[in-house]
Amino acid sequence: VRASLQAVPIDTAGLEELVDTPEAGACVSFVGRVRRQDAGRDVVALEYSAHPMAEAEADRIAREVLASSSGVCAIALTHRTGRLAVGEVAVAVAVSAGHRGQAFDACRELVEKVKHELPVWKHQVFADGSDEWVGSA
Amino acid sequence: VTAVDRKGTMNQVTVRYFAAAQAAAGMKEELVDLPDGGTVADLLDRVRSRHGEQLSRVLARSSFLLDAAAVRDPLIVAGPRSTLDVLPPFAGG
Repeated sequence: VRASLQAVPIDTAGLEELVDTPEAGACVSFVGRVRRQDAGRDVVALEYSAHPMAEAEADRIAREVLASSSGVCAIALTHRTGRLAVGEVAVAVAVSAGHRGQAFDACRELVEKVKHELPVWKHQVFADGSDEWVGSA
Repeated sequence: VTAVDRKGTMNQVTVRYFAAAQAAAGMKEELVDLPDGGTVADLLDRVRSRHGEQLSRVLARSSFLLDAAAVRDPLIVAGPRSTLDVLPPFAGG
């Protein structure tokens, strides 16, 4: 398990290499990017902030998924912090497993848990000058 | 310490605001006086009266950590020198 938060751009290929083991017959990765539009409004910038415990929480989430899944070999997870432009990678995960079904299922579970449990917040600034704390309005 | 000594004692509790709560409060953290035996609910009442409606709205949607432990019961006592973290809804990914 390798889980982190980082203020610099995410190397998604490097993440996949981290979970590459001889036991793994399948690797599934997910990349979440900053979308140009949100609810019909143009996004010009997006800023992620994180709680000081966020990296420890990312590690906990990854370990929980590893423990509750069958056949998973390795998990790598990283989330960006700071200011991101449209198209930049906000979150990336890679899961390797013995077989593809196990890798797909664990990857999906991991991404959903990150969305719900990782103490990270998103502040969106729109082209019309308005802004929004996602989920807090 | 006798009951008489303790009566009226004020504790200082640190409140840390994150994300939308930080924006609504206009600060990252503050010290709040809380009577000895005061609960997280009491602390939030004080915070609401200090700040405006905007922070109250965020608090209604937030979860809380008291000294790094999730607050499940707002009637838990916030002791001296404790820290309450105000966590608005997470929005990762």
